[in-house]
Formats: sequence, C-alpha cells, structure tokens
Amino acid sequence: MKHLKHIAILLIILTTSIVGSQVQFQTRVSKKTLGLNERLRVDFSMDKDGDNFKPPSFDGFNVVGGPNQSVSNSWINGKRSFEKTFSYFLAPTRMGSLIIGSASIEIDKQTYKTNTIAITVTKEIQKPKDPNSAIASDNIHLVAEVSNVNPYLNEAITVVYKLYVARNTGVDNWRETDDPEYDDFWSQNINPKGLKIEKGKYKGEDYQYVVLRRTVLYPQKTGKLTIEPLKLDVTATIPTQRRDIFGQRLMSKVNVPVVAGKRNINVKPLPELGKPSDFSGAVGDFKFNLSTSKSELNANESMQAKVTVSGNGNLKLLTLPKLTLPNSLEVYEPEHNENVRTNLNGMQGEISDNYTIVPQYKGKYSIPTISFSYFDLKTETYKRISSNQTIINVLEGPVYGASDNNLITEGTEKQPVTLNNNQFAFIKTKPNFSSKNEQSFFNSKAFWASLLSPLLAIPLAIVFRRKRDQRAGDLVGNRLRKADRLAKKYLGVAKKSLGQKEAFYVALEKALHNYLKAKLNIETSDLSKDKIKVLLLDRQVNEGTVEDFESILENCEMARYTPITTVTMQQDYDKAASTINLIDKQIR
Amino acid sequence: MKNILYILLFFFGSLTAQNEKVFDQANALYNEGEFAEAIDRYEVILNTDKHSAALYFNIANAHYKLNHIAPSIYYYEKALALKPKDKDIKNNMAFANNMRIDAIENLPEVGLIRFVNKVTNSFSFNTWSKIAVVLVVFFVLFYLFYYFTHATGKKRFYFVSSVFSIVFACIALAITFYNYSGVKKLKPAIVFAQESQVKIEPNLRSDEAFMLHEGTKVQVLDTINSWKKIKLADGKTGWISSNDIKLLNIF
Repeated sequence: MKHLKHIAILLIILTTSIVGSQVQFQTRVSKKTLGLNERLRVDFSMDKDGDNFKPPSFDGFNVVGGPNQSVSNSWINGKRSFEKTFSYFLAPTRMGSLIIGSASIEIDKQTYKTNTIAITVTKEIQKPKDPNSAIASDNIHLVAEVSNVNPYLNEAITVVYKLYVARNTGVDNWRETDDPEYDDFWSQNINPKGLKIEKGKYKGEDYQYVVLRRTVLYPQKTGKLTIEPLKLDVTATIPTQRRDIFGQRLMSKVNVPVVAGKRNINVKPLPELGKPSDFSGAVGDFKFNLSTSKSELNANESMQAKVTVSGNGNLKLLTLPKLTLPNSLEVYEPEHNENVRTNLNGMQGEISDNYTIVPQYKGKYSIPTISFSYFDLKTETYKRISSNQTIINVLEGPVYGASDNNLITEGTEKQPVTLNNNQFAFIKTKPNFSSKNEQSFFNSKAFWASLLSPLLAIPLAIVFRRKRDQRAGDLVGNRLRKADRLAKKYLGVAKKSLGQKEAFYVALEKALHNYLKAKLNIETSDLSKDKIKVLLLDRQVNEGTVEDFESILENCEMARYTPITTVTMQQDYDKAASTINLIDKQIR
Repeated sequence: MKNILYILLFFFGSLTAQNEKVFDQANALYNEGEFAEAIDRYEVILNTDKHSAALYFNIANAHYKLNHIAPSIYYYEKALALKPKDKDIKNNMAFANNMRIDAIENLPEVGLIRFVNKVTNSFSFNTWSKIAVVLVVFFVLFYLFYYFTHATGKKRFYFVSSVFSIVFACIALAITFYNYSGVKKLKPAIVFAQESQVKIEPNLRSDEAFMLHEGTKVQVLDTINSWKKIKLADGKTGWISSNDIKLLNIF
C-alpha cells in the first residue's frame, strides 16, 4: 500500500512534469491603461523556440520600436529554463478601447496563438516638466543674423549664427542635429578659427555669445526663399535649486535642443531695363582685361592671350566671355584659373582664361574686342567693359593660302636663295586712270555694231558677185566699156594737152600709132598710111572706118601747119576715140 | 565745233595730269609711312570721276597698314574687280583676309558646273564679247574666201574654217551672256561692323541666325527697309542691318 502511494506520487509528479513541459506562448503588456501621449510595450514570449512568428496587426497603434528579439536560456540546479521574447513599442493613435490581436508561432510543427488583450487609451496625460531643461531653454538662444533680407539675384548675403548664453549658464558641448541645406543658394561656410566669447545683449539683457558659424550665400533664384533653421543639441550646465553644504548651488547637466528661427529672404530680380545682350549673370564690382603676351612673333611660335575678370562678386558663378580669333590661328582650349577667396563680403579675387595661340601663317591678325557686362550693386546699373582690339603681327612664316610646297622646311643646313614672293607687295606707281562711268564694251552700241556689221559683208558680196556675173553676160555693154577703157588708155595723154595745138596733135598721132602697134603687132618703122590701110582691111575692118582713121592721121599732119581752134581739136579727139572703138569692134 | 573739242581735250588732259600728281603725292606719303594722310590724298582722286585698279590697291594697302580690316578688304575687292588677274592684288588680299575672323568655306562645285564656271570665269564678259566679235569677223572673212575661190581644195578649207568660227563665235556669245547674267546677279558687299548679328527675319526681335565679323564678303540678295538679305559663300543666308555692310558697287 505504501508502495502504491509512492508510485502514485511519482506518477503525479511525472504527469505534472509532462504538463509543465507544455508550450507557453503569451502576450504581456506594460500597462493596460495609458494616455494618448504615452507609449506601450508589448512582449510576445514563448518558452520554446519556434518558427514563423506572426505579429498581430496592431490596429490603432503606431509601431515606434521593435520588433526586438531577446532569448534567455538558463540552467538552475540542472533545470533548464528558456524564454524567447518579441517586443514592440507602440504609440496609440486614438483614444478608447483598443485590442491587441493574437500573434501566432509554429513550434514543433504545431501552431500556437496568444490571447488578445484590451487596452484603454485615455486622453493625454500632463507630464511633469523637467524644471532644469526649462531653465536651460530660457537661458540659451541661437540666433541667425542675415545681413540683407532683400538682396538682388546673385548678390552676396551673409548669415551669422550666434549662440547666446546667459551669464549663469555654462555650455559644455553642442552637436548639430540638423544642418541646414541652402537650397536655391550657392553657399560657403566660413568656420571661425577658435571660439571667441563676446559680450552682447539679447532682448535687452546681458548675454555672452559665441559666433558658431558664418555662411556666405548667393541666391540663385528670385522670389521668396527660406533659410532652413540650424538645430543644435546643447549640453548645458545650469544651477539647480539645491545647494551643497557650503551654500553653493549645485550645478546639473541638461541636454537642450536649440533652434535658430526660419528666415525668409525676398530675392529681387535684376532689372530688365538696359540689360546688355552679353550679360552672363555677373553681379558685383569687376575689372575686365584682355592681355597678350606678345604682339609680334614668328609663325609656329606660341603666345598667350589672357582674359581676366577680377574684383568682388559672384566670381565662381560667372562665365568668362569667349575669345573669337581669326580662323588661320591655331587656338587651344583655354586653361581656366581661379584665384578666389571667400570672406564675409563675398568672393574676391580673379578668374582667368588663358588661351594658347600658335599662328600658322605670316600676316597681321586681329584679336577682336570682347566685352564683359556686369550688374553694379552700388549704382544698381549694368556696366560693360570692352577690351581694346589688339593686333598680332606674325613676322616670319608661310603665307596663308599658298600651297604647302612653299612652307619653309625647317632645319635645312643650306639655305637656297629663293625669290621671296611671299611679301606684302608695295603700292603701284602707275595710276592708269579710267573713267568710273566707263560703259562696258558688252551690250554697248559699238559691241552690237561690230558683232553684226561683218555679217552684212556676206549679202554685199553676194550682190557684188551677181552684178559681176550680169556684166559678164552683157556683151554690147562690155564692148562699150572696153572701148572706153581703150580710149582712155591711149588718148589719155592727148586729152591732157587738149587746147595746146602742137602738143595735142603730136600726142594724138602717137596715140593712134601706139594703138595700131598694139592691135596689129607691127613695128613703128613699117608704119605708112598704105600699109595701115592694107593691114586694117585684112583684119576685116570696114572701109569707112579705115578712111576715118586715115583722115584723122592726115589731120594730125595738117594741123601742124594750119591754125586750128580748140573746137576742132575736140572734134578730132572725139573722132579718134570713136574710130578706135569701131576698129576695135570690127577687127578680127 | 573743233574749238570746243580742243578745249574739252585740254580740260580732261589737265584733270588727268592733276590726278596723277595727287597720286604721286599720295604714294610719297605712303612710302614715308603716313598712311592716313596717303588715304586722304587717294580719296581726293576717288572724288573725281577717275578710278583704277592701282588706286584701289594703294588705298587698300594703306588701310591694311593701319589695321583697318574691312576697308582694306573692300578696296582689294574693288581693285580685283578691275584687274582680276593681278598677282600683287591677290597676294596682298590674302594678307588682309588673314585679319578676318570668320572662317567661311566655299561650297564645292562639282562636275559640269565646275568645268563651265572655270571656262566662263577665265575671262571677263567684256573680253568674251570681244572674242565673239573677232570670231564673227573671221567667219565673214572665211566665208568670203570660200565664196570667191574656185579651187576645190581651198574652197573646202575655207568652208570648214568659216563653220568652225561661227560655231565658236556663238559659243563665245553664249558664254558672254552667261557670264554677264552671273555678274549682274551678284551684289557683293563687305561687312564693316566689327560684329554683326545676322537675323532670321528682317526685324530686331527675331532670333539670331549667326554672327559675322568685320571684313567678311557677302552677297546681297534682297532689301527690305534697312535690312538686307545676304548669302555667304558657304550658302548660309540671313538678314543683316544695312548699316553693317557696304556694297562694293562694282557694276
């Protein structure tokens, strides 16, 4: 029986241990009632490791932290205890009764679920304030001082951040929690070297202040721009109400967030009136210069042209005017130099573009004027500076446009003596003036006349030839004309001496004889009247004509000794002419 | 009538003599390096009715020495218009063109057009017209020889020659007209403004087509009010203010 009792106890213990080895999975909350501004911790804990934990959907709460996982595993007196916890921090979003649903987990291929828990959310609970931090925030102020809240576009403004600290408060350290990003500004921070504590007034009270930071800003947009606040987390030492045994106030350390207020800046646009065409956004006070390293050089030597803008203004933001150069100069990409310091007044210094120029050909080249325009803040007007036109004179080298054969080869030892045609020619000395209004030959009357008149010669020639052919065909006319010619030929001398008796008749007689000699081919010595008659009759000349001829010859002889008038002479001449004609016609 | 002619001849003779004197004076000034004064003297001659390639060349040289880009190119162009084959003018003009800024490439001509242009531009239209006249005279002479000669061989030769000369005369005449119309179409001008915006439209508010600089030669195509439509050698066109350019007025 006693044994039975022992066995029963053993069994009970065993079974309870079996029951105890059953899985526990439960939800615990830190509190069941909370204010709207409070937070709640929810733990889901299990005593055996599992998989696939699924949290509830936490309706009505925001998860502000978690899930955090913690595992504890301990052996106490040989007994192992294990706990795994998923914990969440929740912030209620509304008042009233909220329910945290059940989470689930899989342990040993079995799914376990937790119970649901109802939470009551009441309205906000007034938190007791920390008196120390309140005092600290009263004693520490961060101020952003803006030099000009109404600047022009691209005009430099400065923002100075000052940390004002009351006399009785100390500041150990600070940390920037929110660094302002200056959107729409070009900005540069100027951090002061070392902190200098200065005395100043804040709202009429004596304070100490430190300049934390200076920033130079160039607004890049017109209109209303905001400078985002700078947020600091300051560790301050402030006096407490408690005192030590010596009666000194005890100091306590407090972390205080400090914020410099937002600042609005109204950026004015640059005036449109009188804006130069080449204005590229330069605002400030500038000097502009174009300089060349040489004005005379040889081809293939290099020279520098430097475009410089110096002064005070948005130097890093402006573009330098480009140099346009003659096409026959070889120009390399300019080298950009910046020598700009930024201080509280903005950027100062100079920027320059350095062009390397290598002329290829002889001659003069002009570097044209280039101009630079900027907006002068003092006078609030646009100003333009132009460079002077400079001439580069290339003394030696090949001539542009000449063929490449003319390029002087370098490094030849012997210098061939060549005629240098590549010189700028001297003026001409012979003027050879002509009238400005001289008509061009083409289209002038003379042109058309000389072009077309030769063509007229062709029809003229045709007409001439027709006439000639006609004449050749007209036999009678031809004879007549021939006789006339004959008379002229033989009687020409006689006709000249008409009126002088002696000379006329000698000439006439000689003429008739000559005629007969020519016609009949006889010598002068043989020429008697009888022989003439016989010869003429032989050649079938009419007897009448022969007689006429004879009578003329007789007349010639007679006239020498008898007085004769001019009229008779004329008659004899005519008769001689007609007789010669007749003989010429009849003679065979 | 005869007297008047003598007086006129004398008058013109003295005027020409005077111009030559001024020309010599100007040359002397140039030689001494007083270029501005030389230009003044040369321009005295220009104000009379006379001109010559030499005069324009000398003015251009003086402007070049004074670094006046546009005037020197302007007068070189004028000189070249009178004497297109003068080597000195071409040579010095290359120097003046170096001072220019704009790089403008000529449009390349191809094939037949290139050949035709090369032939037609080898002489001025005046010379071509003279060639045409001479060829017509040759044609007439050969024709007449052909017409009056009886020997067959000679007749054949003269006929062929006359046909050739009339064909060549016609070609020369055609070239003359082609050349003349081409020259008439051209209205070259030089950009005198140091920098000039060429607009897309003939008004101030239109966009800029491109930029021209001093000394660039352009061809004027059209005029509206105070705007001129211009064409560059590379074919670009645009409108430029009349004040920025100076017409060459060659013809």
